[in-house]
Amino acid sequence: MRFPIARSRPLVVAVVTAGALLTAGCSSIGVKPWDRDLLSRQDMRPDGNGLDDAIDDHMYFSKEASSGGRSFGGGGCGCN
Amino acid sequence: MQLEAQTQPTGGFIRRKLIAASCALLGSSVARAGDGVGDTVGRLLEDWQIQSALAYYHEDGRIQAVEPVITAVHESSDGGRLGLNFTFDALSGSSPNGALPSRELQTFASPSAKSFSSARHTYNIAPGSLPADPNYSDARAAGGVDWTLAIDRLTRATLGGKFSYEDDFDSVTASAAVEHDFNEKNTTLSLGINSENDFLQPIGGAPVPLSEYEQFEKTGHKSKHGEGLLLGLTQVMTRNWLSQANISVDHFSGYLNDPYKIVSVLDTAGSPVGYLYENRPGSRTRRSAYLENRVAGARTSAALSLRYMTDTWSIHSETAQLRLRWWTAERDQYLEPSVRWYHQTAASFYTPWISTTVAPEAYASADSRLAAFHAFTYGLKYGLRMRDRLGSFGRDTTEFNIRLEYYEQTQAAGPPGPAALRGLDLYPRLKAMLLQFGFSY
Repeated sequence: MRFPIARSRPLVVAVVTAGALLTAGCSSIGVKPWDRDLLSRQDMRPDGNGLDDAIDDHMYFSKEASSGGRSFGGGGCGCN
Repeated sequence: MQLEAQTQPTGGFIRRKLIAASCALLGSSVARAGDGVGDTVGRLLEDWQIQSALAYYHEDGRIQAVEPVITAVHESSDGGRLGLNFTFDALSGSSPNGALPSRELQTFASPSAKSFSSARHTYNIAPGSLPADPNYSDARAAGGVDWTLAIDRLTRATLGGKFSYEDDFDSVTASAAVEHDFNEKNTTLSLGINSENDFLQPIGGAPVPLSEYEQFEKTGHKSKHGEGLLLGLTQVMTRNWLSQANISVDHFSGYLNDPYKIVSVLDTAGSPVGYLYENRPGSRTRRSAYLENRVAGARTSAALSLRYMTDTWSIHSETAQLRLRWWTAERDQYLEPSVRWYHQTAASFYTPWISTTVAPEAYASADSRLAAFHAFTYGLKYGLRMRDRLGSFGRDTTEFNIRLEYYEQTQAAGPPGPAALRGLDLYPRLKAMLLQFGFSY
């Protein structure tokens, strides 16, 4: 079986191009290490709502047709 | 003489220091012993961050679940990280079987049944009520580990694995990811892949797709396999703004049916003449785009996430979620309201019923999770930092919190159905409540 990404070549090209452009564009934004006081707070981390997200995702996984996006979805039967 | 003159005071000095040090050590030991269990636990967990929660989930007239969760994370100074997590679910209640309400009494058998006469239990559904198995129960144990290794100062690799075990379903997943920092660590690019293998042992066997419910045609075990890829970009925009964008694709193949879901077969008047087991396509590819922005104030923060997902079953979904957090002036308590909106279109093979006058399609499912609907979630969380309330046991991350959520799912108005079904609630709402207690250390 072919990996699905092989069928998504235009998507990959678009993502890589956008990533490269964004990375280049992002070089002019950001902060110095000593300005990260607010960003270091738990509620500012990308995984800052860890357990809440995990519990909510499990609920939505069992009740809706979509899952994942933030990270890999799945991990259960959802047969209820 | 000179040596003796100098030796005497030096020896006394050392002796006094040794005695003082011994007393200090002894005193410290006694003091530590006096600190008790809290200090001992504190030392044992010194390098670990623990998060735990107990969630109670309740659907109006349907399922209820109790779910304890615990995670433990160890972070080392070189950027390495070890994460462990464990979850247990106990579910019980009434699970809709996919059939439509009817003007007539409907009778169904337990999933393990080989015939109506030998069924462990049968259940009757009153006219007008949603058919649901009232004896549903299940338990799930799941766990996972992820290990992050710092390749160099800017690059990290993560390997992960997780399992999920139920009476009728086992799942094993392996994942790998690499992430690299750019621009003074203001930009992080990540790439992850995962592979999931699921093994299904439906109670009573896996029904033959589209076979008649009353024939109890069931076969053995089934499996499905999935793989996924996720590309992520995290960007520090300003001192108080963090942005994250992900694009992901995954593909599942194998047995993708819900073995317990059936579809009503209606005659022209709207009376059920039978039921068929559902049948879904044997493969599904999903693509999604996810964007999250977090903004911080001195005593506030906001997190807005947006997701768009589409798949080869013709389901398109949009999700938007907003979380706000307010800290008190002392920064020892916070309040976090949240709202989430979700919308999806129906799968191409979703059908509330099958008509005897229309030739059956190759695929059919009446599972409401594949229908068109929208849903709102409203939540409120209260957190209390415990650092100053637990003596030596407390630390900056020690927190107790409580969270309450209300979820309401509203199906789009489908076809009204034959005359006999007019006035019945064919597309009922789902209302659920979640209560969660959490403790972090």
